[in-house]
Amino acid sequence: MKNGISVFIAAFIALGASWCGFVLAPALQLGTAKQTAVLNSGDTYPVQRTGDATLGLQVYRANGCAACHTEQIQQTGIAFEVVLTGAGKNPDAVSNLISTLKLTGLTKEEADSANDKITAVGGKVETHLIPTGADISRGWGVRRSVAADYLYDSPVQLGSLRAGPDLADAGTRLNNASWHLLHLYAPQSVVKNSAMPPFRFLFETRKIGDAPSPDALNLPSEFAPPAGYEVVPKPEAKQLVAYLLSLHADVPLYEAPYTPVQISTNAPAK
Amino acid sequence: MSDETKSCPTPSNAEPTATRSTVPMWVFSLTLVLLFLGFVYFDHHGGWFDERVYGPYASADQLDSYQPKSGAAAAIARGRKIYESNCGTCHGADGLGKPNQAPPLAGSEWVKAKGVQRLTHIPLMGIAGSITVESQTWNLQMAAMGAALPDADLAAVLTYIRSSWGNGMGEVTADDVKAARAAIGANPHPMSGDEMMKMPE
Repeated sequence: MKNGISVFIAAFIALGASWCGFVLAPALQLGTAKQTAVLNSGDTYPVQRTGDATLGLQVYRANGCAACHTEQIQQTGIAFEVVLTGAGKNPDAVSNLISTLKLTGLTKEEADSANDKITAVGGKVETHLIPTGADISRGWGVRRSVAADYLYDSPVQLGSLRAGPDLADAGTRLNNASWHLLHLYAPQSVVKNSAMPPFRFLFETRKIGDAPSPDALNLPSEFAPPAGYEVVPKPEAKQLVAYLLSLHADVPLYEAPYTPVQISTNAPAK
Repeated sequence: MSDETKSCPTPSNAEPTATRSTVPMWVFSLTLVLLFLGFVYFDHHGGWFDERVYGPYASADQLDSYQPKSGAAAAIARGRKIYESNCGTCHGADGLGKPNQAPPLAGSEWVKAKGVQRLTHIPLMGIAGSITVESQTWNLQMAAMGAALPDADLAAVLTYIRSSWGNGMGEVTADDVKAARAAIGANPHPMSGDEMMKMPE
C-alpha cells in the first residue's frame, strides 16, 4: 500500500480527536463532579441512595427498563411570571395597574419592567422563573435534567426511546410504593391502557400460610390469584420500587434554576 | 482532468490513482464562510464549554442573570436551613436558647449590635468563659461552629439570626465574614465575653 504512514497518521489523528472530544473533555469537565448546593437552601444535591434503591438500579438495568423509559427531562425555554405578594399601602392603585399588565409568560426584560411598575406604586412582587417545554407541560418534571442528577447512577440509565413515560422525576410524581408494586405485577390493574408488559417473575404466588403476609398485593379481582393464594413481592421487586421512589429531579440548581411552587404531587400520572 | 480520462484503459491489475488538481476557489471560500458562521453560532449558543451551561441557556452570564435574586430574602431562606442544622440544637429554632446550655439569640445585645464584628467572631472562634447576655451571666463553652462553613453560608446564617425573632437588624455580608476570618488569622482561640468587649463593635 502506498502512503501507508500518511493513512495511519490521518486515522490516528481522527480517532485521537474524537477520543479527546468524547472521552477526555467530558472527563475533565465532569469527572470530578461532587454534590452541589440546592439554590437558596443549605441542602446538598443529590443525596446518596439507600442500599435497597442502589440494588434497585441493577434490577432496573437487568430488566431492560431503559429500553422503553428515558430518564432525561428536556426543556426548550424559560418564561417569567410576576406574582403579587403584598398590596402595600395603596391597594386600589396596585389592583388597577395589575389589571392592565400581562403577568405570565414574560421574558426577563418584560418581567423586570412589570416588577418596576408595580413596585413604583407600592406593591410587593416576586418574579418566578418557570422552565417550559413539552416534557415539563406533560408533568414529567419541573426543570431539565443536568449532570448532577446522575451523580450516583452507575451506569446511567438515560434511555433513548419513550414507549412509556420519562422516569427522571418518577419518585416525586408517583410516590406510592404499593401503587408501584401493583403496576409491576399487573400494569393494567392501575393504568387501564398501559402498554407495559407485566413483570410477574418479580413476584411469588404462594399458598397463604397461617396468616396472610402483610406484603401481599391487594389486587383487583380480575388480576387476583385463586382463593387461598397470595402474591408477594420478591426482594428484587422491592428494590426496584425503592429505586423508582428515589428518582427525584425536583430541586432548583444553579445550572437549572426555577422558582419552586407549592403543588400537590401526590396523584399518580394519568 | 483530461489526463485522467485518457489514462483510463490501463492494465486491470494496476492500482487506481488520483492525480493532483487544485480545489476550486468557491469550495474553499464556502468552507471558510460556513466555518465562520458555525463559530458565530457557537459563540452565541455554546456557552464556551462551561459545564454549568445547558440547553435553553446560552451563556454563563445569561444563567447568572436568571438566578433568584441573591438579596436578603434569599440569604434568610438559606440561613434558616443552615441555622436549623448547625445552631438550632442548642440555641433553639425560636432563638430563645436553652437554660444552662446556650444563651438566647432573640433580643441579645450581641446580635443586635450596630456593627457585626463581634457577632461574626463568635461562630468563627467559639466562646470560653463567662459572657453576659441580656444581663444574665452564662458560664459555658461554645465550639467554633461556623469555622467550617463557607463565607457565604455563615453570612447567610448571621443574616437570618439578625433579622429573625424581632431582632430586626441588617444583613451580614460574605465580605464581613471574610474580614473577620482574616483578622483571626491561622490561630483562632475561644474568647470570653470580656475579651470580646475589647474588640470594636
